Amino acid sequence: MAMFEEAVSILKDNLGNDVLECKTPKPRRAYILVKLGCHRDAISLLLKQYEQTGISTITGTDLGSEIELNYHMRCGGAVTIKNRVPKEKPRIKTITDLLPGAAFYEREVFDLLGVMFEGHPNLKRLLLPDNWPKGAYPLRKDWKPQDVKSGVSDSEKNSETNGGELKEATSIVNVVVGPQHPALHEPERFSFKVDGEVVVDVEPRLGYVHRGIEKAAEHLMFFQDVHLVERVCGICNAAHTTCFSQAVEDIGGIDVPPRALYLRTIVHELNRIHSHLLLLGVAGLLLGYEALFQHVWRDREPIMDLIEMITGNRLMTAFNTIGGVRRDLDPNAAGKIKKTLEEVKKRANFYKVVFKEDPTLRLRTEGVGVLSKSDALKLCVAGPVARGSGIDMDVRKDDAYAAYEEIPFNVISYKECDSWARLMVRAEEVLESIDIVIYALEHLPSGRFRVRVPRRQPEGEAVGRVEAPRGELIHYVKSDGTAYPYRVKIRSPTLANIISFPTMIRGGYVADIPAVLGSLDPCFSCTDRMVFLDTQNDRRWYWSLEEIKPKKAK
Amino acid sequence: MPIDLTLIARALIFPGFIFLLALALFFDWFERKVAARMQNRMGPTYTGPLGILQPVADYIKLLTKEDVIPRQVNKLLFTLTPVLAFSLFVFAMFYIPIDGSNVILNSSFEGDLILVIVLITIANFALFLSGWSSTNPYSGIGATRILTQFLGYDIPVIILALCPAFLAKSLSFVAIAAKQAIPFALLIPWSFALFIITLQAELEKDPFDIPHAETEIVGGYETEFSGRKLAFIKLSEDFQFLIGAALVTELFLGGPFGPVLFGPKEMWGAIWFVAKTLGVIFILEYIGNVSARLRIDQVVHSNWKILIPLAILSLALTITCEPLLRSIVS
Amino acid sequence: MANKMKLPSMIRDIASSIFKKPFTREYPAVRVEVPEGFRGRHILDPEKCISCGLCERDCPSKAIELVEVSGKRMPMFYLDRCIFCYQCAESCPRDAIRLSTVFELSTTDKEGLLVKPEEFIPQQPVTTKE
Repeated sequence: MAMFEEAVSILKDNLGNDVLECKTPKPRRAYILVKLGCHRDAISLLLKQYEQTGISTITGTDLGSEIELNYHMRCGGAVTIKNRVPKEKPRIKTITDLLPGAAFYEREVFDLLGVMFEGHPNLKRLLLPDNWPKGAYPLRKDWKPQDVKSGVSDSEKNSETNGGELKEATSIVNVVVGPQHPALHEPERFSFKVDGEVVVDVEPRLGYVHRGIEKAAEHLMFFQDVHLVERVCGICNAAHTTCFSQAVEDIGGIDVPPRALYLRTIVHELNRIHSHLLLLGVAGLLLGYEALFQHVWRDREPIMDLIEMITGNRLMTAFNTIGGVRRDLDPNAAGKIKKTLEEVKKRANFYKVVFKEDPTLRLRTEGVGVLSKSDALKLCVAGPVARGSGIDMDVRKDDAYAAYEEIPFNVISYKECDSWARLMVRAEEVLESIDIVIYALEHLPSGRFRVRVPRRQPEGEAVGRVEAPRGELIHYVKSDGTAYPYRVKIRSPTLANIISFPTMIRGGYVADIPAVLGSLDPCFSCTDRMVFLDTQNDRRWYWSLEEIKPKKAK
Repeated sequence: MPIDLTLIARALIFPGFIFLLALALFFDWFERKVAARMQNRMGPTYTGPLGILQPVADYIKLLTKEDVIPRQVNKLLFTLTPVLAFSLFVFAMFYIPIDGSNVILNSSFEGDLILVIVLITIANFALFLSGWSSTNPYSGIGATRILTQFLGYDIPVIILALCPAFLAKSLSFVAIAAKQAIPFALLIPWSFALFIITLQAELEKDPFDIPHAETEIVGGYETEFSGRKLAFIKLSEDFQFLIGAALVTELFLGGPFGPVLFGPKEMWGAIWFVAKTLGVIFILEYIGNVSARLRIDQVVHSNWKILIPLAILSLALTITCEPLLRSIVS
Repeated sequence: MANKMKLPSMIRDIASSIFKKPFTREYPAVRVEVPEGFRGRHILDPEKCISCGLCERDCPSKAIELVEVSGKRMPMFYLDRCIFCYQCAESCPRDAIRLSTVFELSTTDKEGLLVKPEEFIPQQPVTTKE
């Protein structure tokens, strides 16, 4: 894309000698190493030039004596601005004043690698438990799980875990939603300050479902990691495997056969249809519209059956692999898929009308949880949340992968900026996705569906981007020439979107909480994947695989 | 003084406590089954034929559960209010003619309509107290929501209940029900429709189930209750539902009076009453299933700005049309 | 407010649902058909197995262990750890591991979660008589 090359040349021209290294291994990917501290200049240059520039995530990698910070910017593609800070004194200036949306990413790097971001307004733990010992940074290579074994229970409990304190006697009540709450399908905690029925403020606390996937990925071979990243999130598993496979294929320079790309697209879109229908149903439940919930989920079931028929499991597809897909499509199946999709399309059209016209649904969602376009850009939200705020942003169009370059489809966006718009985006995207699958089935190329790839991958790094059902998903993989990745970084869309929740809910009613949260379609398993938490089983699972080998069965 | 066996039998067995309890459980089951079918599900299936014993099983399960009293609650209120609410609802139910006369014979008097509505209000206040006494933020919000909603919707309920009372020129259930050779629902459909909507709010059903909107405030006022106390609260909700449906039946559908085909008049009274009430429950459940939950500000707004003026209007319309309606009846 | 607006479009849908057959099934009483190619419980072909150990090495969740059965090392599957990705079937050079459509794997004891190679070896008539 022209915009991307222009952006890279602007960076090179303006930064001059500050650019130490610049690589553009493939279209729409650039890796630019700049002098320590110059990342701010680079980012503000991009921001000045392009309105839609946002930050996707920050990856920290332990290189031994240095920590490498990759600022993955989205700007017509993925521009990665690299910075290296010494490990003894890891300090760097924050970019939250330029892009408030980077706040969570900086906290994440601070939490897991111990990099201090100077000037960050609220540099607190994001993912690790509050009683995690100080100075233990799990993503550093010299860290060992034994370091924490004694530490977690001994260190003091942070007062924050108790919901914070309110000193003055006011009418404001602290309402803690979560970790267990009917509005949340997964454990996460939000501490609301509520005045009567009005929400004054909210603070999300993430990290209740950490499983240490990023660290665990370093201990598994590339092809095994595909099965691991699939488990980041059950609902959007196809997106994760597609994304990871793409990143590894970029590193190894593997050409995926076109049939595989089309099959990937089909499963990816079926995945999106089922995810969106799931959310529309859940939105019904959250808004107290139980019948709608049951009906939408009923009509989602045929899609699950299709996925089961194509891949062998209704949820965990295990379909993608590095170099293609693992199964071919049965030639007889295409007809059945098309027939089912036509049926689902009728229902999807009906639900679009329901969400558009149902008076009680509109009463609850219209004008609720407003996220203006400028706020959305500043907070770097992704996917349907951004599209609900009038930003035309879709990785499938901006950075076409798999077969999307050849498939025509529309990017849905709404200008209303409220919960209703975000739900409508999804309702319409279901229809688009159905068309994509039907098109892909009709134009399915013949040939191989998989190429065999070596277990070892050459040294290198790559960014994989896909449009997961919840928004832009980004995987960064770094290989050091072995069969095991050196670093895997996953930024799921919910982490990008959840940062906008306080902006949306402030000043709303208590009853708006589920309405707004539902419209974000939060998936906390996705969000919390980086670090294993304190349960004994998890730790042993990931760290000493030999340990759990059970005693010989009789 | 000799013990009046009929009185005891009527109060305890039919149409008194046991019959009412069975009826409440049956309605609970019916409601769940209808809701399930509307949502294209099966609903309860395993307990008894068509799962009819499911509510019984649920209550037995609740009775065997541990009864937890949180440390900071007001123990007296916390223990008393579930039982109080339950007994108030049962008491109110005793004034509703089920088999042609009240549970306690000859206890009907001019004005028992007002008494029943007052009893329901007090029982709701007891439910509010139960939430308020449990010192949980969710319960607190749920309790204030009950009060906000109930205080608002009680007014249109009374106004609308006056419409049939005016037509029947009586404030007694038996008299109102007996006057309906043609059900008032057909004579004054505007009041009937409004009454159903207000009742929906009064019974805390969708779209007005705000006091226990589980995705917002978990269990609302009943969050802290468990075991026997929760069983009592759930039972009072069932009874409240029963009374609500019974009110519509008595005021607009002619109560227990209908054609007697054979056998004793009382039996047919009860059959007509149950049949009509089931119809009302079906309508209520249908409304609940085609709407999302409103927000408390929208509910209060729609109450004071829309329902109350409409209720007054419908009363005025009823009074104006009264001579005409009377001529139709006779 | 409510009466000013259009009637909800769900009204008809819900009314017609009452007369429809329920979509849900009484599961344990009514069986569920899974499609061909479903990734269920493992089937091992002891004849084909060459004891190479690739499945054990490639399993992402370390759910396979080679055990010795009648003088031959063969894979045993731990279903509690298995993620049913069927990497083992893919890695096997002799196609000794196949998938079945058996999905009801719940059990009351841990032994039930083991897929032992023995069960695929046809039992000798001598042992059955005893």
